[in-house]
Amino acid sequence: MPTIRLVNITKQFSKGSKAVDHLNLTIEDGHFVSLLGPSGCGKTTTLRMIAGLETPTDGEIYFDDTCVFSNEKGINVSPDKRNVGFLFQNYALWPHMTVRRNIAFGLENMKWDKKKIENRVAEICKAMRIEEYVDRYPAELSGGQQQRVAIARTLAPNPRVLLMDEPLSNLDAKLRNDMRAELKRLHKDTGATFIYVTHDQLEAMTLSTRICLMKLGVLQQYSSPLELYGKPANLFTADFVGNPSINLIPMTAEARGDGVKLSSADLKLTFRPNEAVTLPESGKVVLGIRPEFLKQQAENAVDAQVESSLPSGMETILVTRVGAQRLTSVIFGDVDFVAGENLKMGFSGNKYQLFDADTGMRLTSGSLEV
Amino acid sequence: MKKSINKIKTFFSKPYNILLIVLMVTLTYLVILPLFSIVGDTFVVHASEKSRVGQPVGSFTLYHWLRAFASDYSKILIWEPLWHSLYTSALSCLVAIVIGGGFAWLVTRTDLRWKKVLTKLFIFPYIMPSWTLALAWRNFFKNAVIGGAPGIFTALTGITIPDWFAYGPFPIIVTTGLHYSPFAYILIGGVLRNMDANLEEAAIILRTNKLRMFTKITIPMVMPAVMSTIILVFSSGMSSFAVPQFLGLPVRYYVLTTEMYSTIQGTNPGVGYIIAILMMVISVGIMLANQYMIGTRKSYATVTGKSANISLFHLKKLRTVVSLLVVLVVLCMSVIPMISFVLQSLILTDGNYHLSNMTLDFWIGISKGGNDYQDKAGILRNADVWKTLFNSLKLSFTCAIGAGTVGFLAGYSIVRRRGSSLSRFVENLTFIPYLIPSMAFSAIYLSMFSQQRGIIPSLYGTFALLALIGTVKYLPMASRSGVNSMLQLSPEIEEAGVIMGIPWWKRMTRIIVPIQKSTIVSGYLLPFVSCMRELSLFVILVTANNRVLTTLLFFYDEKGWAQYGNAINLLIIFIVLLVNFVVEKLTGASIEKGVGGN
Repeated sequence: MPTIRLVNITKQFSKGSKAVDHLNLTIEDGHFVSLLGPSGCGKTTTLRMIAGLETPTDGEIYFDDTCVFSNEKGINVSPDKRNVGFLFQNYALWPHMTVRRNIAFGLENMKWDKKKIENRVAEICKAMRIEEYVDRYPAELSGGQQQRVAIARTLAPNPRVLLMDEPLSNLDAKLRNDMRAELKRLHKDTGATFIYVTHDQLEAMTLSTRICLMKLGVLQQYSSPLELYGKPANLFTADFVGNPSINLIPMTAEARGDGVKLSSADLKLTFRPNEAVTLPESGKVVLGIRPEFLKQQAENAVDAQVESSLPSGMETILVTRVGAQRLTSVIFGDVDFVAGENLKMGFSGNKYQLFDADTGMRLTSGSLEV
Repeated sequence: MKKSINKIKTFFSKPYNILLIVLMVTLTYLVILPLFSIVGDTFVVHASEKSRVGQPVGSFTLYHWLRAFASDYSKILIWEPLWHSLYTSALSCLVAIVIGGGFAWLVTRTDLRWKKVLTKLFIFPYIMPSWTLALAWRNFFKNAVIGGAPGIFTALTGITIPDWFAYGPFPIIVTTGLHYSPFAYILIGGVLRNMDANLEEAAIILRTNKLRMFTKITIPMVMPAVMSTIILVFSSGMSSFAVPQFLGLPVRYYVLTTEMYSTIQGTNPGVGYIIAILMMVISVGIMLANQYMIGTRKSYATVTGKSANISLFHLKKLRTVVSLLVVLVVLCMSVIPMISFVLQSLILTDGNYHLSNMTLDFWIGISKGGNDYQDKAGILRNADVWKTLFNSLKLSFTCAIGAGTVGFLAGYSIVRRRGSSLSRFVENLTFIPYLIPSMAFSAIYLSMFSQQRGIIPSLYGTFALLALIGTVKYLPMASRSGVNSMLQLSPEIEEAGVIMGIPWWKRMTRIIVPIQKSTIVSGYLLPFVSCMRELSLFVILVTANNRVLTTLLFFYDEKGWAQYGNAINLLIIFIVLLVNFVVEKLTGASIEKGVGGN
C-alpha cells in the first residue's frame, strides 16, 4: 500500500481561476482521508488528478517513490496504470450490462482466468450483500443496491487506493447512515488507502482518520477530525466544521497580566490563554465559543434572554441574547425554554478559541472568566 | 337517478371533459371511419374500372384483391414494388447511419477541424424538402434515358453516366440515405455528447483498452439511438414518394408509393387502395416492433450525467485529410445541390452550361404568348405561380392554425385527465395519423371524401379537403408537444386559479397560454413548415384549381420543364429556410430538434 504525495499541485482550467492552488498533501498508507470543503473548492479536481483523469497544470504526484505525474519531467502515468479504484458520485454503472458483467468487466481487462473471475465476483458480491441481484441490470436496482454494485466493481480488482467522489450524496438519509458504517468496515477489512471527497462535514468527521479542508483551491487545514474541531486553524475552518456552528464574536483585546481583557458592546470577559500568546497590534480579535461550551449555569455566567428554543429530545438548541449579541448553545437532555425567559449562561473548561480578526488565524485556546 | 344525473353534470362541468368528448367524436370520424371506408373501397367497382370488371359501378367485387394477390399481375402490382420499397429503405438506413453516425463520432470525439460550420451545413438537408437531393442528383447525372440533354456532370467531363448510376435503386438509396443522415447525426451525436463521461472513465480506471471500450461501452450506449434512426429512416423511406418518382420512374423502377400513385391516377384505384392498406400494415408493424424492443430493452435506461472533458481522439496526420473529406461530403449534401438548381433554372438550352446560354427568362421573362414552355412567363411574373404560392401559404396557414390549436387543446385535456381510458383513447387517436404513411393517408381520404357522406358533400377537388387532411396529418406533431409541455406544468398552477373563481376561458388565456407560449408557437410553426414542403400528402388530392407549390413543381417536372421546376424548387426552399429562420429567432429552438423529438 502506497503513500500518496502531492507536491505543489496546481490546476488551472482553460478559462477562469485556479481550481487547485499549490496544494501540498501527503496521504499516508492505510489512512481514510476526506477532502472536505464547500462546492467549488477543488476537492473533486484533486481527487481526479490523483486518479489521472485530470491533468494538473503544474506540480508532481508520487505514489510511494514512483512519480506518476510531473510537469517538469514530462511524466503522466495513465489512470489504468496507477492501480487505483474510483467510485463515482452517480455510480457510473454500465446500463447495458448485468451486475455480474459490470463487476467482471475490469477483471477481464486484467486477463484473469475465467474461474478466478467467477470466484472473485461471487466473493465480492457476498461481501457487499448483492448476491441476489447478480443477473439484474442497474436500472432494476434501487439507489442503495446500485451503490453496492459500484463499490463491488471498484473493489473487485483489489486496488491499492480507493478514490471516492461523494459516493453517498445520491442516497437518502437512512441509507447514507448504513453505507457510512459499511465504508468504515470496508476500510478496516481491506486495509487500503481511502480518499474520500465530500462537502458534508459530518460525513468527513465520522468516517475519516484525517481531513483535508479546502477553500477556493487552497488547503486550509490537514489534521485529524478532532483536532480540526478542537483546534481549527482559522476562522473558516472553525465556522465550516461543527453543527450548530461556532459562535464567533468580534471583540477588542487588551493584555492584562497573564490574562486578556476582551470587550465588545455587550460582553466584557477575561480570557486566560492555555499558552503564551501574542495579540495583534490592532487589538481586534474574534472569540470562538462552541455551542456546547456555553452552558446554563449560575457561576461564571452572564445574564441572557431566551430568543428561541428548538428541542429535539436528546438535546435542545438554544438561542439566547446578551444585549444585542446573539449566542447559540446546545443544552443536553429533554429541556425546553420559553421565549423571553431570563437565564444565566456561563463558561467552563478551556476550549474557547481566540482568532486574529485581521488574518483570521487562530491565536490560542483558553478559558473564560466573567 | 339523481345521483347519476349529478355525476353527468359534474363530468360536463369540467371543460377538459367536454374537449375530450368533442375530440373523440371528431377524430373517430376523421381517423377511424376512413379506415373502414378504404377497406370497403377495395371490394367495390369504381368508375374507371367498370369496363374491365364488367360489373356496374359500386357493386361488390373481389376483383381487386384477386388481381393484387392472385393473378399474373400481382408480381408487378405488389411483390416487386414491395421488395423495392423494403430494399431501398433498408439500405438507406445503412447509408444514413454510416454517414450520420460517422459524422457524429467525428464531431463529438475527435479533433476534426471546422466543427461549427460543418455541423450547421450537415443539418441543412433535413430542413429541405425530401426530394432536394434527388432533384440535384438528376441535374448532375441524368443521361439520355429520359430524353433531352445529359446532366451537368456529363457536360463538364464528357463521361456518359450508366443507367444504374443515374436512375433506379442506387441513387434512390444514396439520396434518401443522405437526406436522413442529419437525423442519425442528431440522435447518435446527442447520445455521444450527453453520455455520462464517468461511464467511460470507469472503464479506463478498470484498464479497458481503446478497442474494447469502443465495442463494449460506446457502441452499446448508442444502440438505442441507432435503433430510433433505423425506425425513422426506414418508415420515411417506405413512405417516400418524390424520390422514387424522380429517380425510379425513368427506368420503370416502381416502389409501393409510386405504384399506388399510378394505379389510383390510372385505371385501377381498387388496387391502389389495397397498396395503401398494405403500407399501413407495414408501418404499424414497424411501430409495434419498435415498442416491443423498447419494452424488452430494460437494460437501456437513458443515462446522462455531468460530462467532464472527454479527451478527444487525435486524428494526427490524417486530421486535415479527414476534415477536407468531410467538407467535401457536406458540400455535396448542402451547397452543391443549391448551385445545381440555380444553374438548371438559368440555362436556355439543356446541357449547355456556358455563360452565353444563361438567361433569367425562366424567372422574370414575359410571356410571348406561344404554346412552347419556353414562351411561358418566368415564375416570378406568372400569375399561375403567384396563385399557387398564395394557395400554398393559405393551406399551410390553415393547417398550422388547425393542427396547432387542436393539438394544444388535445394536449391540455389529455394531460388533465391522464390515466382515464377516455384520455388514453383520445391520445391514441391523435397519434394514429402519424403511423399512416402520407400517401396512404391521402388515398384513404380520397376514398372517404370523394363522394357525399351524410351531410358532408363530396370534397374532392376542394381546398377544404386539403386543409382537413393537412390538419389531421400534422395533429400528432402539435399534440405530442402539447402533451409533453403540459406534463411539465403542475396542475396546481391552474387550480390556484380555480380556487379564486377565475373562469376556464380566462385561465387558459391568462395563465396556461402565456406559460406555454414557446411550445404553442412551435406547435403552429412545425405544421406550417411541414405543409410547405409536403408533396405526397397532396399529390393525389389536388386538382388543377387548387395546386400548391410542391405539386406545381411535380407538374412541371412531369412535363419536363426542368428550368421552371428548378426555379419553383428554389422558391420552396427559400420559403422553408425563411420560416425556419423565423422559428429559430422566435422560439430559440431549431426545427430539426422539434421534428426529431416526435
